[in-house]
Amino acid sequence: MLSAEKNRRLTQVGPGTPMGELLRRYWWPVATHDMAGRVPVKRRLLGEDLVLYRDGTGTVGLLAEQCPHRRAALWLGCTEDVGLRCGYHGWRFDESGQCLEQPGEPAGSTFAERIRATAYPVQELGGLIFAYLGPAPAPELPRYDLFVWEDAWRDIGHAELPCNFVQIMENSVDPYHVEWLHGRYGSFLRELDGGTALPVVTKKHIKVAFEVFEHGILKRRVLEGHTEEDEDWKVGHPLVFPHMLRVGAAGLATFQIRVPIDDENTWHVWYQTYRPEGGAPPQPEIPVYEVPLKDDRGEWLRDYVDGQDIVAWITQGRISDRSKEHLGRSDMGVIMLRKLYAEQMDRVAQGLDPLCTYREPHDVIDLPMEKDKFGSAVEFRQLWTRESSIRYSPIKDEIFELFGDPVPAWAS
Amino acid sequence: MSFCPGCGASLEDPASFVQEFWSGADRNFLGWCAACGLLSTVVLPAAIVSHEPEH
Repeated sequence: MLSAEKNRRLTQVGPGTPMGELLRRYWWPVATHDMAGRVPVKRRLLGEDLVLYRDGTGTVGLLAEQCPHRRAALWLGCTEDVGLRCGYHGWRFDESGQCLEQPGEPAGSTFAERIRATAYPVQELGGLIFAYLGPAPAPELPRYDLFVWEDAWRDIGHAELPCNFVQIMENSVDPYHVEWLHGRYGSFLRELDGGTALPVVTKKHIKVAFEVFEHGILKRRVLEGHTEEDEDWKVGHPLVFPHMLRVGAAGLATFQIRVPIDDENTWHVWYQTYRPEGGAPPQPEIPVYEVPLKDDRGEWLRDYVDGQDIVAWITQGRISDRSKEHLGRSDMGVIMLRKLYAEQMDRVAQGLDPLCTYREPHDVIDLPMEKDKFGSAVEFRQLWTRESSIRYSPIKDEIFELFGDPVPAWAS
Repeated sequence: MSFCPGCGASLEDPASFVQEFWSGADRNFLGWCAACGLLSTVVLPAAIVSHEPEH
């Protein structure tokens, strides 16, 4: 049980809230590269309504939704060679929010010089557009390895999930769910359908451990038949604070990025890299795809690993009522994460930088991740490329060819 | 768990953290005090089993 007050503190992400102030110290993916075009689009991040556009010079801008003139939405606008023009009366703004033009005002008026739209800095990296909504000076955008590798293919899946981001993050420090939600429940559905149990994810957990480290929380596990000499324990993989899971195996490395839209909605990004031994050939463009949530009958999709996770997250409610939960010894990772959020909120309140703030320019931030995952690297890769959101990737077949893995018996 | 076992500050301070969890029949509270930084656990055991040390 967590008190209702502390649950609110943990889950409220808007401006002025303790968690909202913590989260505003980080760069957030606000869109995939293809969303920023000449037609401005509405985005929502950390409870703030925004408009994203790319002007004629290729400059990407992110402005508050409402025009400072008469408050019409700026997605009702047109991009010009420089900046975004409000569709209502033609006021034009650049990416810093400065008003450049007010067509209806008298010639020679200096009014525009004193008008600014709320604007936030953006940067593009690895096919994502990142935004910073916090106080200046903005920290460096962390160049995590997956975003910058030059010899990898990538694809990006995404979906809007109707729940708070914390209950999604808690899943990333909850190893036991793998053998039950995916191993037992996932296999149960397959068996009802005449299939066989999934490999790898059915292995029993013997021991798990969590440790706070420089990138967040490092998660380790020993599975049945394995020892502390296996990479799942010796290396592990991280929850990257405050918003990502790094997971994969054997040339497949992924981020699951949980972007708070507001208190009750999360933009989930499945960011995959494919890097066989020797590297992948050049990729002309990073494909982007939407991950469906429901089937043709309107039922939540749960016949694959990510679908099972999604349903476990959203059925906790828009904001999980933690005053009614019953945690046990197997929930230590969840407790550690909540405590880490509390501790880092307090650092921000004291005027300090929170964990994973980078102030120095850098080339790459390497993160740890076991390659021989679950003691069966290729088997895990075969599973993940078929049973995760990758099954909706437009380059799924090319990925199979890139790795050259045979079709596993359970999938044929 | 209302007060820090280290400094006595109120853990009802919104910045502090208190989380209940169960270990068998024992009710546990993990507390982190924002005032002094102490991380502690208070256990409300179902039964106390102890022994007299050797004389």
